[in-house]
Amino acid sequence: MDHAGLVQRLERILGPGGVFHRPGDLLVYEYDGSVDGAVDTARPAAVALPTTTEQVAAVVKLANEAGLPVVARGAGTGLSGGAVAQQGGIIISLTRMDRILEIDREDRTALVEPGVINLELSETALPEGFFFAPDPSSQKACTVGGNVAENSGGPHCLKYGVTTNHVLGLEVVLPDGRVVWTGGRAPGGSGYDLTAAMVGSEGMLGIVTKALVRLTPQPESVVVLLAAFGDMDAASHAVSGIIAAGIVPAALEMMDALTIEAVEPAYHAGYPMDAGAVLLIELDGPTGDVRETADEVSTLCRQAGATEVRTASEKAERDLLWKGRKMALAAMGRLAPNYYLHDTVVPRSKLPATLRRVGEVSKEYDLPIANVFHAGDGNLHPLMLFDRRRKGSVERVLEASHDLLHYCVEVGGALSGEHGIGTEKRDYMTLVFTADDLAAMAGVKNSFDPRGCFNPEKLFPKGYMCGEVRALRAQAMAQKLGIYAL
Amino acid sequence: MPSDHSTTATSPASASPPLIDGRVPGQVVAPLDGREVAEALATLASDGLVVAPVGGATALGLGNLPERLDVALSTANLGGIIEYEPTDLVISAGAGTRFGDLQAVLADHGQTLPIEVPRLADSTVGGLVATALSGPRRLGSGTLRDLLIGISVAHPSGTVTKAGGMVVKNVTGFDLPRLYHGSLGTLGVIVSANFKVLPLPRSETTVVAGFPSAGDALDAASRLYRSPLQPVALEAGRFESGWFASARFEGRDQTVRAAAAEAEHLLGGHAERFNAEESQRRWESYLAPQVIETTDDRPDLLVRCAVRPRDAVSLVQGITRVADERRFTISYLGCSMGLGTVMVRGVFLEGGSADALRALQERLLAIADHVTILSAPPDWKWGLDIWGRPPETLDVMRSLKEQFDPQRVLNRGRFAGGI
Repeated sequence: MDHAGLVQRLERILGPGGVFHRPGDLLVYEYDGSVDGAVDTARPAAVALPTTTEQVAAVVKLANEAGLPVVARGAGTGLSGGAVAQQGGIIISLTRMDRILEIDREDRTALVEPGVINLELSETALPEGFFFAPDPSSQKACTVGGNVAENSGGPHCLKYGVTTNHVLGLEVVLPDGRVVWTGGRAPGGSGYDLTAAMVGSEGMLGIVTKALVRLTPQPESVVVLLAAFGDMDAASHAVSGIIAAGIVPAALEMMDALTIEAVEPAYHAGYPMDAGAVLLIELDGPTGDVRETADEVSTLCRQAGATEVRTASEKAERDLLWKGRKMALAAMGRLAPNYYLHDTVVPRSKLPATLRRVGEVSKEYDLPIANVFHAGDGNLHPLMLFDRRRKGSVERVLEASHDLLHYCVEVGGALSGEHGIGTEKRDYMTLVFTADDLAAMAGVKNSFDPRGCFNPEKLFPKGYMCGEVRALRAQAMAQKLGIYAL
Repeated sequence: MPSDHSTTATSPASASPPLIDGRVPGQVVAPLDGREVAEALATLASDGLVVAPVGGATALGLGNLPERLDVALSTANLGGIIEYEPTDLVISAGAGTRFGDLQAVLADHGQTLPIEVPRLADSTVGGLVATALSGPRRLGSGTLRDLLIGISVAHPSGTVTKAGGMVVKNVTGFDLPRLYHGSLGTLGVIVSANFKVLPLPRSETTVVAGFPSAGDALDAASRLYRSPLQPVALEAGRFESGWFASARFEGRDQTVRAAAAEAEHLLGGHAERFNAEESQRRWESYLAPQVIETTDDRPDLLVRCAVRPRDAVSLVQGITRVADERRFTISYLGCSMGLGTVMVRGVFLEGGSADALRALQERLLAIADHVTILSAPPDWKWGLDIWGRPPETLDVMRSLKEQFDPQRVLNRGRFAGGI
């Protein structure tokens, strides 16, 4: 099938307005939200914009017929290259499947199409007294389908859990074009938990066309505390103190001096400019609980050396404090033309040492690094600031992040807490996983997608999933088992 | 089982072979570490034998009748806390760790894994993950699925693999830990598991109210469910002396007391309030009838039905109707409000049979989305898929099984669709 033939067939399924195929229209689909240079870009043969599940299935069947790979895509805000069509083929953009089909008060669920914007779902559920708990920083733009694919987190997952804790069922188009449901409204379905396998699978197992998600009742009362510290060490100790006291805040975020320097003049959130670090601590629940806990947290912060603790209980005050945190990335433009946002996780107790290591790396590579992150669950987001016009700067950034990744893994951490592996970190997978570990993951991939047509060249190290390697693996396995018929 | 199997170790658990659905495995092995489990599985695979992994032996009756059973693989020697960093709120424990021991270690640091099943103390970490059973507290605290952050598993290919890790937030690779959760040991033998743990609630209380009829009890629980109160468990049903509705609250002392007062008011009837200690005992005894026991001399059934939460009340009415029609006497019924599950224990008036069980399952499947026969006399389970309706994704599940256990060494036939 040549390009013109493909476009014609796609238009037959989707109508002329449902297909992008001219180079100019495809340009934006060559990228995701990552910094240029950190992940590869690639041009798809065409972009399909379906509005129904049936259209998604028909496009998948067509891709099979044409022997083309398929890459599902939401808003393209991902930061690991997951939505880039590494081998070309067809991108299925799900942004036109953006209806909230149902909000059910009684079941406390929402049934949504994958292109629904994360924040829109929470805003729609608000009058009913609910919200959708996963709240990645990109929540104004990112889609629920993308959240499912990446198992997105966000500040409030400290208390409420990440996306997988809020997905009850999925309508999925499988790589053979079949439409199935995994999970559902009633708990306790039989067989393997395929919903669990789907969430966080980076579009490699199936394409989500509907998601049944859990809605969380809004808390009776919310308080945000701002605590300022002389340095990140003191702030880290406050974090440990809060957790050790048996308190699970709704969110517990840290920002360092460099972040404050970028954010405060831009958004006037009220962060003290002379602080070495600030913590934003959100507490929610029954009013009495929140009041008592806020007093306790305030005391713990002061004991850890807080120079100032402020409490905001009115919504406008709370929103202002959060604004600085939520706009932190946008504010980085004041400090440098480019930034590379890194996503790693370490055990909470390793936070102080890891932050010191971040400081050392910053010095070693002569690279300013701002820290704005989910301190409560040890999820670091070092922001490396640079100017890509300066020769060798991108390489320096990548080397520095290489060093940091190694360190985080050494202290018992993970490669990514919420951004995914995609192409960005695929070659680091062997840092944490053995060939056998990866073989088990490949087993899952092969069960859903034996021909490897959904989002190829993601998550597994380069060359891992290509036919030859797979054949060798199967052979080795067969020999080990003493069966040669495989 | 080959006699040169050097990995076999003797342990208390291997002294008397466990009874699995009325069958006695020919041999019990109790490997000393994950590597040995994998080697044992590989050997069994090459000999064409079938193994049943055994933890605390508290839920061995769960599953279809084994298609074949040669060896029981005990995790008794895989016990113990591997890593525990209280300030990180994470713990790693060997599969054979008794949950009671794990909970005691956590409690020393004011922490807990808020999981409840009958015979919890004797249950093992591996067994709890493999069976995915949960209790009423699921409403407020979720299940082990929500807390499982890492796992190590031995496979019939002779390998031990890990997935996830020791951090609470992790998207490094596919989420295999959650796939193993509830897979009944059919994809591999769990060697160890890592969990996110929670601080112990500062206080708790439970309100129980009695009612003259099922309808009154369910109405009361529904009222409470629709109120702003957020109980961690909310049940209605038939237990001990009659129909009841019950709500459990956790949090700070004052808040919990205020919630309980409000709950008493909402439930109406003759409400009784339990303090923290009484509350824990009450829920333990409430869970006891949900025990999975299957022997031919105790011909009662434990059945779990599930619908979407909003249909729970009509499901209970439907179950009562079906029970009357099938001449099945319900001795215990627990409806989890907000979850949509109903647990039923009872006996057939005429003693029961395989046919009677099959007919009951069919009738229940007509009124519920999922019906699982958790416990039944083995003789009645011949030819029955206790998991109910096969899922539409059964072919994907079969290929998962094919990828992980092509020889069907593990729990052959016991899982959904005869996997």
